[in-house]
Amino acid sequence: MKRAKVQIYAAFAVALLVLVLPVLGQRHPRELSSPPPLSFKMPKPVMFTLGNGIRVAYLQDTELPLVWVLGYFRGGSLYEPTAKAGLAQLTATVLRTGGTKTRPGDRINEELEFIAATVEAMGGSEFMTTIGSALKKDFAKLMEVYADLVMNPAFPQDKLELARNQSLEGMRRRWDQPFQVSNMLFQERLYGADSPYGRRAKPATLQAIGREDLAAFHKRFFSPTNLMLGVAGDVPVDEVKAVLNRVFKGWAKSKVDLPEPAPLTERADGTIYYAYKDTPQANMYLGHLGVRRNGPDQYKLDVLNNIFGSGGFTARLMKELRSNRGLTYGVYGGINAGRDRGAFMVGSQLKAAQFTEALGLIKGIIQDLQTNLVTDEEIETAKNSIINSFVFNFEQKNQIMAQVMTLKLQGFADNYFDTYIDNIRRVTKQDVLEAAKKYMDPAKMIVTVVGDEKKFDKPLSSLGKVKEIDLKALIEAERGPQK
Amino acid sequence: MTISKRMKQSCLLLAVAFAFGPALLPAQSLEEKVTAHTLKNGLTVLFAERHGAPVFSTLYGFKVGSVDEYPGVTGTAHLFEHMAFKGTPKIGTKDYEKEKVLMDKIAQVGREWSVELAKGDRGDQEKIARLRDELTKLEQEQKAFVVKDEIDLVYSNAGGTGLNAGTGTDQTMYIISLPANQFELFCLMESERIRNTVLREFYIERSVIQEERKQTTDAVPTRLLNEMFMGAAFIAHPYNHPVVGWASDINSVTLEEAQAFKQKYYTPNNCVLAIVGDIYPEKAIPLVEKYFGEIPRGEDPPLFRTVEPKQLGERRVRFEFDAEPQLQMGFHKPTFPSREDAAASVLAYILTTGRTSRIYKDLIQDKQLAVSVFAGSSPGVRYPNLFTFNAVPRYPHTLEEVEKAILDHVEKVKAEPVSERELQKVKNNIDASYIRSMSSNFGIASTLVRYQLLFGNWKLFLKYRDLINSVTAADIMDFAKTTLTQENRTVAYLVKKAKAS
Repeated sequence: MKRAKVQIYAAFAVALLVLVLPVLGQRHPRELSSPPPLSFKMPKPVMFTLGNGIRVAYLQDTELPLVWVLGYFRGGSLYEPTAKAGLAQLTATVLRTGGTKTRPGDRINEELEFIAATVEAMGGSEFMTTIGSALKKDFAKLMEVYADLVMNPAFPQDKLELARNQSLEGMRRRWDQPFQVSNMLFQERLYGADSPYGRRAKPATLQAIGREDLAAFHKRFFSPTNLMLGVAGDVPVDEVKAVLNRVFKGWAKSKVDLPEPAPLTERADGTIYYAYKDTPQANMYLGHLGVRRNGPDQYKLDVLNNIFGSGGFTARLMKELRSNRGLTYGVYGGINAGRDRGAFMVGSQLKAAQFTEALGLIKGIIQDLQTNLVTDEEIETAKNSIINSFVFNFEQKNQIMAQVMTLKLQGFADNYFDTYIDNIRRVTKQDVLEAAKKYMDPAKMIVTVVGDEKKFDKPLSSLGKVKEIDLKALIEAERGPQK
Repeated sequence: MTISKRMKQSCLLLAVAFAFGPALLPAQSLEEKVTAHTLKNGLTVLFAERHGAPVFSTLYGFKVGSVDEYPGVTGTAHLFEHMAFKGTPKIGTKDYEKEKVLMDKIAQVGREWSVELAKGDRGDQEKIARLRDELTKLEQEQKAFVVKDEIDLVYSNAGGTGLNAGTGTDQTMYIISLPANQFELFCLMESERIRNTVLREFYIERSVIQEERKQTTDAVPTRLLNEMFMGAAFIAHPYNHPVVGWASDINSVTLEEAQAFKQKYYTPNNCVLAIVGDIYPEKAIPLVEKYFGEIPRGEDPPLFRTVEPKQLGERRVRFEFDAEPQLQMGFHKPTFPSREDAAASVLAYILTTGRTSRIYKDLIQDKQLAVSVFAGSSPGVRYPNLFTFNAVPRYPHTLEEVEKAILDHVEKVKAEPVSERELQKVKNNIDASYIRSMSSNFGIASTLVRYQLLFGNWKLFLKYRDLINSVTAADIMDFAKTTLTQENRTVAYLVKKAKAS
């Protein structure tokens, strides 16, 4: 049945094809002369400091009757004890849901949701991030709730249990998706399971956390001098200043100690880690440690990454693995910068029957970048793409504010944006080659792959040293005895 | 709504922009910002001016999606969407004359190969391997003439961002954002793509989509559950098959079938284009006329006939997978613009959106039976659809417990009117969400295109606001009583495989 249908339909389609090709009036973009240059000045946030030491970035945006708030406190999972991993995120969640000494969390939910306002808190690795948004008429109300939450959280036991139970269920389910599993295994082996950068919250570490831990974590980092606050929207600066001075009144300064975590050392040694899961693809990450952010070669790396694996379809990884070979739906790669080292990594979900072939192609691309100069066309495209799309960093005012705040907190120079384009322009093919040699080492790369080796084109042992990870045992050990 | 995209990384906010309707103030101000222009060939172009950063976003859609497919060629709308990035006889090639000779051979060998593959186990394996080798050889030869992904290359050099496309049940959308000085480039590139697409490297891309299906469905519990659920909820209507297509169809669809599909649906009279950002319509319209005006008008798309028959009793699906349990449940209902659809939108919000919603407070916060419950309309809007719930239980609570607890809330809605404060909260939030969607060029473009393309008039976004604002407690009760019934219900369970890693 099916075969007949396919054939008849195909014959009909051929007839159509003949009728419609070739088409006249075809054009190529090279016919166009180059467009006039863009002139654009990035709107810059106004920076000021409140009496109690809060640094504020403000950018007016009168287009819509809205206002956005963004607050970064230094502090995060880098500073939690390994035995209590997950503390930063639990603190953030319960800070919001638990409410304050005078405003119970459930009442805050009612008040904010009725006026379509939001306040949320997230625990990152080195920042506790707080965000808020409201209609402009509700700015004062929004800030009253926001300030009360960051200054006086109550951390009630019932909301701690709720947040913990939710996280525990998330942990049960984090093994369901093979690419996510591969990523967890990769991060842990790249940075080390006990490292502040690589450790993972587990059921046992969540169970070890009590209300007093949340309160102590909050006390340690939620200080006015440790907060950078951004406000963007349709509220005039005088009103912003007046409201902020009022809502944060009486918030005492305290000294925040942010010890540098122990430096990372390279652990990658070329091992292939394999975990069996009955799933159709080979879910792979590979790499080794990356670079410290804001380093001397950052612009060279931006160009190299664009050519290697972050530039979408013009990048070599995507071009070769997807577009030329059809081995994957997507592949990303890059030498990423981090607070300490970041990661040089490639991630992809690959056709299982050609997995080792794909791995060979990736290694070949890396080795070629370390051996030969990239082409003129490649470096031109990479630089043009970065330079000409730069304006999209400033499409929305709240986005500009967030970018400026992030750069300041991460120690970038004040003129980083002003000089960025010129710095990219200066990068040469030789620079790209040198960066590839300096920051990529295929012999060291570890590989994590989650899938079914029986479906692969060659046994993994033909590629090098393989260590098998028993996922089932790992999950059982993590969960402990079940009811 | 289910969407399959060309690239995973990019964000596509179509569904969000649509789900949250309009608000009084910005809706009116948006109306003033829009200039509509219809070309002689039927292409509708909508401009909205926003002179902030010197950039613009464009989005255009064809009214064709997986709902227009039938058994054997499921996934073709999405497959063609991928092919629309492969170039034209001028773009993407070094020598089209020579390349064409190879492409004709590829088409022929690929067709024979696909026909053999479609036989499944009864196919001649030796012939399949031989044709596969032959095809690979031809594809290698073709590479000498291909300018790899030149559409991406051209836009990257011009500073374009977010080049992508998405296929849904109802429509196929193409997006790109560019610096404001590249408007003519946009007109040239996109008019060429619409008119002159060449299905270059077709069989390699088919292989990419096989991997896309595995990555985005076969390995993803929620998506697999959705597929099982829709297959049971619709027995006749083509909302019953996945946007990405069934694996067997993706594995054997031919270049000619994709081309024929394009021919039927990719016409200017079946297309709406929105351009939003730092653009002046009076300067832009002549360029749009020059480039897009050349595309010949096409036939009207084929008549759509199938109507889902009335459901005569509850349907239940249960399947095993190597993942923790979850459920999806749905009830057939009318689509936009109807009072029932508006009541459904408000009810979904009252039940599951936000920490003050009924089901969140009861099931997630107090009883802690579940970690998430989400209600909404699915899978499309062109035809009558479903009021759905997706729920994730919390161990050791069961799917049965969660299902019952959700249904208890449904019964409560039938028995007691919702409060005025709940109604007002929802209206306030839907208004605010709409204002927020107006803060990006892309958000505005997607709202304009969806209403114009799917309902024939972009101004219907105002109708959405009117409908939402007119919903009463009695409407919601009526909707629940007539629609949220046992005989109109389909329930699908994903349960954990007994022996699994």
